[in-house]
Amino acid sequence: MALLELDNVGLSFSGVRALDGVSFSIEAGALHAVIGPNGAGKSSLFNCISGIHRHMEGRVRLDGQELTGVEPTEIARLGVSRMFQNLALFEHLTVLENLLLGRHQRYRTGLLRNLFWTRGAREEEVRHREKAEEVIDFLDLEHFRWMPVAVLPYGIRKRVELGRALCMEPKLLLLDEPTAGLNQEETEDMANTLLDLRHELGVTQVLIGHELRFVMDLATQVTVLDRGRVIANGPPSALRNDTRVLSAYVGGTVAA
Amino acid sequence: MPTRPLVIRYEDDLQLFPGLWHKAGAVLTLAVALGYPWLASERWLTVGNLGLVAIVGAAALMVLTGFAGQVSLGHAAFLALGAYTVAVLGNKWGWPFWLALPLAGAVSACVGVVIGAFALRLRGLYLAIVTLGLVFLTQHVLLAYPEVTNGLSGTSVPMYWWFRGDVGSAASVGDTWQLGPVVLGFERKLYFLFLPLAAGTVWLTKNVQRSNSGRAMMAVRDQDLAAEVLGVSTTQARLQAFGVSSFLAGIAGAMFAFQQQYITVEPPFDLNLSIQFIAMIVLGGVGSVFGAVSGALAFTFLSPLAESVGHALPLIQQLTSAQQATVLLSVVVVLVLVLEPMGLFGVWLRIRRYFQAWPFRY
Ligand SMILES: Nc1ncnc2c1ncn2[C@@H]1O[C@H](COP(=O)(O)OP(=O)(O)OP(=O)(O)O)[C@@H](O)[C@H]1O
Ligand SMILES: [Mg+2]
Repeated sequence: MALLELDNVGLSFSGVRALDGVSFSIEAGALHAVIGPNGAGKSSLFNCISGIHRHMEGRVRLDGQELTGVEPTEIARLGVSRMFQNLALFEHLTVLENLLLGRHQRYRTGLLRNLFWTRGAREEEVRHREKAEEVIDFLDLEHFRWMPVAVLPYGIRKRVELGRALCMEPKLLLLDEPTAGLNQEETEDMANTLLDLRHELGVTQVLIGHELRFVMDLATQVTVLDRGRVIANGPPSALRNDTRVLSAYVGGTVAA
Repeated sequence: MPTRPLVIRYEDDLQLFPGLWHKAGAVLTLAVALGYPWLASERWLTVGNLGLVAIVGAAALMVLTGFAGQVSLGHAAFLALGAYTVAVLGNKWGWPFWLALPLAGAVSACVGVVIGAFALRLRGLYLAIVTLGLVFLTQHVLLAYPEVTNGLSGTSVPMYWWFRGDVGSAASVGDTWQLGPVVLGFERKLYFLFLPLAAGTVWLTKNVQRSNSGRAMMAVRDQDLAAEVLGVSTTQARLQAFGVSSFLAGIAGAMFAFQQQYITVEPPFDLNLSIQFIAMIVLGGVGSVFGAVSGALAFTFLSPLAESVGHALPLIQQLTSAQQATVLLSVVVVLVLVLEPMGLFGVWLRIRRYFQAWPFRY
């Protein structure tokens, strides 16, 4: 069953055609990779799914529910969460506070009860803390809980951002180049984490990758974008020797 | 040196004074605050009251600027609204102060939320300019209805215990009480009224900071796009920040009016006042309640000191004492920021780190 359906999605920026007639679907439980050269429109596609580009054409459906024209906050509530290509963490807040913000929309107490720090507000705080601690445990972030994000090294920050997305308990997790800028060891850790997520928690993931090899090893399904268009779509085994894919990657890191 | 007991439940992390040292610090602060009005001279008692007013005003601005990242030059307008609300309620209808006070906050908060809605898409410099406009607009409106506000000549601010007309002749808070050897003059009574108000404000703003509502404001401040994608409504967070901030600013304005007993529109409710509050939170350290309190106190207590040393200093002897204080305080603010960008809060963090590592120095 398709969890996410993209139907003829298009997007233009004053002349630049970032996306053009993009249609494909993502199965529930899949680890679906989207690859393509620089400027192919991969991040733009994510922005369309999470509702950031209001001027998008075409339609996006999650679990049969229309996402087109829906506010980003509402799309988040429906179960889409994401990791940004260039980290978008709350720099001055601690790791724990960043993770708790992932639970923001599940809080039931509002400003008034928070102002007076009522019993309900306190209990809710503890409840969400417990959930955040599970994620901290899963991602080995125990040592960094109380540290402001600004002082952390890049590799840890990537993990914090993944953690923040996981705290939302998403149906669909959008990962925009989660391994960019990581060293070999950190990349392997990230790959293992993504596999664990799929096997243990069954989260559907869409992964944007640059490195063909990393993506081909992990993904269950691959979509190749080039200049805003889908040029190939299928399981990695079928695409490995596809000439269209290889030609889009001339000069890139092609799998051996 | 264990500074806090072992945390075994997540509830323990939510406490304001988790460890022995925190509790000791709280008790010490309370002792100083309660002892101060009995030891201070009349002049310093007044400074103390102004300090408590400044704490409420600075904490209010901290919510808007420090937490939500909305730089506002309009703070003076909200204080003016609070001040004139209690003046009018007292003069026209003889309301008791404890009823007028929350209403002053409410009036100011209503205007704050409207301005907040109006300024939703504005940020940085643009917001600063719109809020600056609010100061002029408020001044203009207050002066345009002299039959209500008494216009340019200013208005007295009566402070009644109960409704005027009821209970015989309405007792004014200004009357001196004599209980045996204990004398409670106007300023001393005000002090014991302002102290819980300031403490309550600190508690409320701390609760905002440590709760989901405050985190949402800070998320919008740091990364508004990411905040939206996480489900944080930037509109709601900004409006809440405006609401809480202007409510507390209205209270601060009302407290100031009661303390002054007679107020005019300008001075004090002008751009200069807004900038003073910005200086306070910058001096204290933007983003923390501690910064608001320490900045407010440092600012109010340094002013009279600066005035008394000003005439002895070269270059600035020719200026009026108020100008001397302004110059000296500006120098202090700049120096603190050059040495410690996080303000007094940063200094405090350093001291704390030193003691946490004590007796090892590294
Ligand atoms: N906000 C924007 N305004 C104008 N043009 C944009 C904007 N966002 C993206 N573009 C353009 O759209 C095209 C696709 O960009 P996008 O960021 O989606 O590519 P990408 O596949 O993520 O590339 P990369 O691998 O470098 O991350 C590019 O030509 C880019 O210049
Ligand atoms: Mg990209």
